[in-house]
Amino acid sequence: MTHQYELMVILDPEIDERTVAPSLDKFLNVIRNDGGTIDNIDIWGRRRLAYEINKKTEGIYAVVNFTANSAATDELDRQLKLSEAVMRTKVLRAEEGFALVAAEAKRAEAKAARASKAPAKAAAKDA
Amino acid sequence: MAGKSGGPSRKPARGKGAKNAAPAKAIRVGVIDYKDVATLRKFISERGKIRARRITGVSVQEQRLIARAVKNAREMALLPYAGSGR
Repeated sequence: MTHQYELMVILDPEIDERTVAPSLDKFLNVIRNDGGTIDNIDIWGRRRLAYEINKKTEGIYAVVNFTANSAATDELDRQLKLSEAVMRTKVLRAEEGFALVAAEAKRAEAKAARASKAPAKAAAKDA
Repeated sequence: MAGKSGGPSRKPARGKGAKNAAPAKAIRVGVIDYKDVATLRKFISERGKIRARRITGVSVQEQRLIARAVKNAREMALLPYAGSGR
């Protein structure tokens, strides 16, 4: 059973930003080897932390969307947490978020349809 | 008669509650995401506390999503934890 996941990691700001993508990719091989797919990688770059983590005031943020089974995802999270360069990780199921986006889009569409219908009705009444 | 008088008499009794329930127009939000810090900031106080529903004026379902998003954002140091610090 595969699911869509969203992974966010905060990496140590002391590592070179150019090495972020390759090292992240190395971790993501866990997913690829297990038959999962990487859908999107977004490296935010250096960002100030809202509070200190490990005595550091900034971190390198990266967000990865992928599709995999739960075992591979657990393993990826475990390996990330073992790494010294990773300050924090968060894995969330992305489906709920996508469902929200879809629901919102539907609502906006319905609203637009209502809006376009209402003036038409008013015009019809006038005629 | 009794039923009719019961309605209006209950209202003044919770006058205090009525005073609280004055949300200055619900803040309209589309999709709530823990990564969207700018939007979430509207729902936390200066101190970083999550604003109550009677202040934000959003629906129960939305408030629940907002609270969870704020908590996720805090874990990832995108938002501060509530504290006396400034």
